[in-house]
Amino acid sequence: MQGTPVFVVKGLMKSFGPNRVLKGVDLDLHPGQVTVLMGANGAGKSTLVKIVSGIHSADGGTVELSGQAFAPSTPAEAMRAGVVTVHQAINDGVVPALDVASNLTLDRMSGKGAPLLLNPRRIRREAREVADRMGLSLDLSKEVADLTLADRQLVAIARAMAHRPKVLILDEPTSSLSSSEADRLFALIDRLRAEGVAILYISHRMSDIRRLADRIVSLRDGAIAGRFEDKPLDYSGAVDAMLGRKSGHDAVDARSAHAPVFSAEGLRLHAGAEPFHLDLGKGEIVAITGLVGVGKTALAETLFGLRRPFGGSMRLDGRPYLPTNPADAIGQGVFLVAKDRADNGIVPEFNLARNVSLPFVHRLSRFGVVRRGAERQRAREQIAELGIVCRTERDEMYALSGGNQQKAMVARWLAEPSRLLILDEPFQGVDIAARHDIASKLRATADSRATVLFVTELDEALETADRILVMSEHTLVGEHVNRGVDMERLLAEVAGRGLRGAA
Amino acid sequence: MNLREFAIRYGFLALLAGLVVFFSLATSGFTSPQAAVFILQSVSLTGILALGVTATLVVGGFDLSIGSIATSAMMAAAYVMVVLEQNALVAVLACLAIGALVGLINGIIICYLRVPDLLATLGMMFLLIGLQRIPTEGRSIAAGMTMPDGSTAAGQFDPAFLALGRHRFDFILPDLVPASVVVLIVLAVLIWFFLEYTRFGRLMYAVGSNARAAEFAGAPVRAYKIWAYIISGVFASIGGILLAARLGRGDIASGNNLLLDAVAAALIGYAVLGASKPNAFGTAIGALFVGVLLQGLTMMNVPYYTQDFVKGAVLVVALVFTFSLSGRTAR
Amino acid sequence: MITRRTFSKLGLALAAGSALLGMPALAQDKPAPFDKPGDVKIALVRYLSTGDFFQAYLAGVESQAKALGVQLQVFDSRQDAALQADMVDQAIALGVQGIIIQHGLTESMKEAAQRAVDAGIKVVAFDVNVENEKIPQIEQSDRDLARLALEQAIKDNGESWKAGYVYVAGIAPLDRRNETWVEFKKKYPGINEVAMFGTLDNPIANSVANQARSVVSANPDITVMFAPYDEFAKGVKIAVDEAGLSSSVKIYSADISTADISAMREPGSAWAATAATNPAVVGQVSVRALAMLLAGEDPGKQVIVPPTLITQKDLNDNDIKNMEELSAKLPQFAHADVAMPAWMPNPNAK
Repeated sequence: MQGTPVFVVKGLMKSFGPNRVLKGVDLDLHPGQVTVLMGANGAGKSTLVKIVSGIHSADGGTVELSGQAFAPSTPAEAMRAGVVTVHQAINDGVVPALDVASNLTLDRMSGKGAPLLLNPRRIRREAREVADRMGLSLDLSKEVADLTLADRQLVAIARAMAHRPKVLILDEPTSSLSSSEADRLFALIDRLRAEGVAILYISHRMSDIRRLADRIVSLRDGAIAGRFEDKPLDYSGAVDAMLGRKSGHDAVDARSAHAPVFSAEGLRLHAGAEPFHLDLGKGEIVAITGLVGVGKTALAETLFGLRRPFGGSMRLDGRPYLPTNPADAIGQGVFLVAKDRADNGIVPEFNLARNVSLPFVHRLSRFGVVRRGAERQRAREQIAELGIVCRTERDEMYALSGGNQQKAMVARWLAEPSRLLILDEPFQGVDIAARHDIASKLRATADSRATVLFVTELDEALETADRILVMSEHTLVGEHVNRGVDMERLLAEVAGRGLRGAA
Repeated sequence: MNLREFAIRYGFLALLAGLVVFFSLATSGFTSPQAAVFILQSVSLTGILALGVTATLVVGGFDLSIGSIATSAMMAAAYVMVVLEQNALVAVLACLAIGALVGLINGIIICYLRVPDLLATLGMMFLLIGLQRIPTEGRSIAAGMTMPDGSTAAGQFDPAFLALGRHRFDFILPDLVPASVVVLIVLAVLIWFFLEYTRFGRLMYAVGSNARAAEFAGAPVRAYKIWAYIISGVFASIGGILLAARLGRGDIASGNNLLLDAVAAALIGYAVLGASKPNAFGTAIGALFVGVLLQGLTMMNVPYYTQDFVKGAVLVVALVFTFSLSGRTAR
Repeated sequence: MITRRTFSKLGLALAAGSALLGMPALAQDKPAPFDKPGDVKIALVRYLSTGDFFQAYLAGVESQAKALGVQLQVFDSRQDAALQADMVDQAIALGVQGIIIQHGLTESMKEAAQRAVDAGIKVVAFDVNVENEKIPQIEQSDRDLARLALEQAIKDNGESWKAGYVYVAGIAPLDRRNETWVEFKKKYPGINEVAMFGTLDNPIANSVANQARSVVSANPDITVMFAPYDEFAKGVKIAVDEAGLSSSVKIYSADISTADISAMREPGSAWAATAATNPAVVGQVSVRALAMLLAGEDPGKQVIVPPTLITQKDLNDNDIKNMEELSAKLPQFAHADVAMPAWMPNPNAK
């Protein structure tokens, strides 16, 4: 069924400063096919999309569209040439304050030669044509601000399709949709595929991928790590290629817990999710792994009092545990090293010492006055403990590398004893050396508490944890002791087959 | 330390010193203890308001209502004494209570009802400008005033209250330092110590710099924000008390100029010592800077609109210092 | 709700009251349409309304309207020029017989005033020039205000002194007062203006006090401060007190309020004299001029309300503490014999 590709990317390269994001990517898209692009965070998906949609320019390599060289310098140019991108942030694609009809015809209004005065009836008529072609049944006079996210998404796509593109790029379009909402999107995609549009679909959601993919391409560390075109598609293989495993990582001497600390019974993260059971013991490190968006952060936030469980009960040290907010959780000895440290961890106006002392500054104070000497002493100790590379404890955070910033975030919570330490994506944007330092520090101090890690990358779980749990569709679907792990089963569980088998 | 770092750190202090030297040479009578004290007195009101608004800037907020809180407090003080015939203590307590209450309401509207800070405090500003006129139907309050019902108000300003605006303490020279200057210095030291050295101040900075990180570290983010608005309201009401004591009456006024001068002082404060963030010491220096400038220009017979122009120019330069120059070293 | 009935009752009661007091103005004696005052509707369309002056002006308008027994409708545009013009149209639509335009901008009010005149409505204007032959101007004479105060300054201090002057250009009444100041300086070359300052930053008194402090420390030899607006004078007084110069500086100003009276009467106060027009009287004169028009009489093209000089001595001698006592004890301040035909009720007569 492979014809000539309409869109061909060859040897695409892009660096941001010293950071090589794309290291020569080859990709081709065929008319009437949905190509799914899979890749972990930081693999370079967004950069790839931004280059072909005209937001960034490439450092090297070529892109061809229908045999012509294609190097758009603005998004409008890309759109005119026939490559349309619907970005992840839905509201980028629509104007919430206008009605549906205006949104569908917005580009005609602002284009060259557009009439000066608006004719509402003509707008309505043109919008109706666009909507009918897309099979969109929406009240055209409704304001977009009043629509659900899913409907906005459909409007954004319909609006994009008004240009009759040859290539449509959808960047994680279902990340904020429910499954029934997603079904409507899939129906639209089927229709476009039948019309012969070449579609690049970027997603982590295995259910989407199973539903839509004609072929899968896995991106890893800025290069294509695998292509899967033969039916039936090898989903586990695709996940494996995306997450990858470097041979020869240090084998972990898997320990087992010597006393229970935390347990959850019948825990449900939201209305549609299956209940699950979770035990975390003293002295062990448990890694919970799974693709992006399967509920790992939701579980971390539930444990830390940032959200309430939909159902089920939790116990900490045998007592019922239901924290109302982070302060409550911290008071009971449950600490969270949150993901996305720039958003959730670092206080940019504070120096290293003050960032480290932040959660426990009250314990470093006397009569409300911060004892600066003690604060700096604590920071110096933690710098030594974790091997944070810096000039002094008074360095500003922006002067530190990503790995050292992350060490500071971990140090913040290791400075005081905890019952349960939660780390959500602790190795995000961290170099290998820092990752090893953090992992070995966690293992060295694990004896006094329960530790749970949420990671997407399998390598990180295999390197750090004693026990690995697999999460999919907001529930736990598999458990592995980190000793001769059955990788095939693990990958299958990550890819979502485990749930079906178990259920 | 290279030249740029030096300029960012000490540029504004050097500019202030340069201004003082310039005015000393250009005018007679600029350098005397009296003149120095007078500059402090002229900035005491805006300085106190600026210190209050600094607290809201620290938590990443803003308070546009401080000017009208000050004038409302002034009206309240006059009303309590002149119409309700109460003493100075009651008047002061009433003003402080009003300041705290308005701050609390601002905080609740912003934190719980999720109205953006600028809009919430703008609304509060209008509300207070109207509210302060309701009890007297738009009249200014002075001893012996005629009430809306035709009767004459029997009370008058308590001498103890007027002393807050007029009493002078001996310092080097007899009767040199006015009470308002003492209040300014005490409040400046208090808020500076609070923000720099206590854990509450520390967490307020954390809330302003990265609220999510502060929340994840267990800080009650909303409570800190609300407290910041209460501090701002109370400081503004102290400003209003001093204003009433100086004028000896309750004047109908929006207080918008007080607000603008206070905000200017706080923003100039960003540039002092290259802090690039709201800070009490910088705010005090910023207020002093504006005071020196206006005193010197007035002594040189420069008309008010030129003074406004110069004030604006200083603010722009200070903001450039903060956001452009020091921003580049940050990256 | 105040209904037309209660209004006419009020009018009757007032008329009866005046009759009992032996006033000449009995309802029956008045010319039409004031023989049935309850049916007369007039409107006051305001541009400025906040502040003591405007409160007192309104009180004057109300008292004269009450004395006449007419219905008064107050429109307040709060410094919105366009809205003020619309309000004139609103008043026309309401069917009023007379309109008082209080302040405003010539540009925006000229045509609205003409529309009212075209609709057969009688119009008077206070402190705004609507450039219309048929509309009498009510004015307080700013030149006279400044003249009275400065004459007193010459009387107190001789013809030769160093002066500080508070002035902000571009405000019409202040500009008119300034003209007189310029004339005086020409007439008396001994007057030496060593400093001019001023600001309208509110609270005005506080801002002016800050400026005046700088001025007196730069020029400690100033003996006369001419501050032809009471908010300015208050600020200067605060500064002079703070600088400890109350005995060597005298302040001459214009306008007056209860707070000004207590400031002038403070022991050792530097505030020597002020010239003022009673805003309540101006309000009364506005209504009276309008009433004369309605009765078919001619109040004149310009109706000028004369100012009164009030010195510290006057206040102390008569022990005057507030505006009411000022009106009671200085009769020339309480009432101006302007626009007073025989049939016109005097609202100040009790």
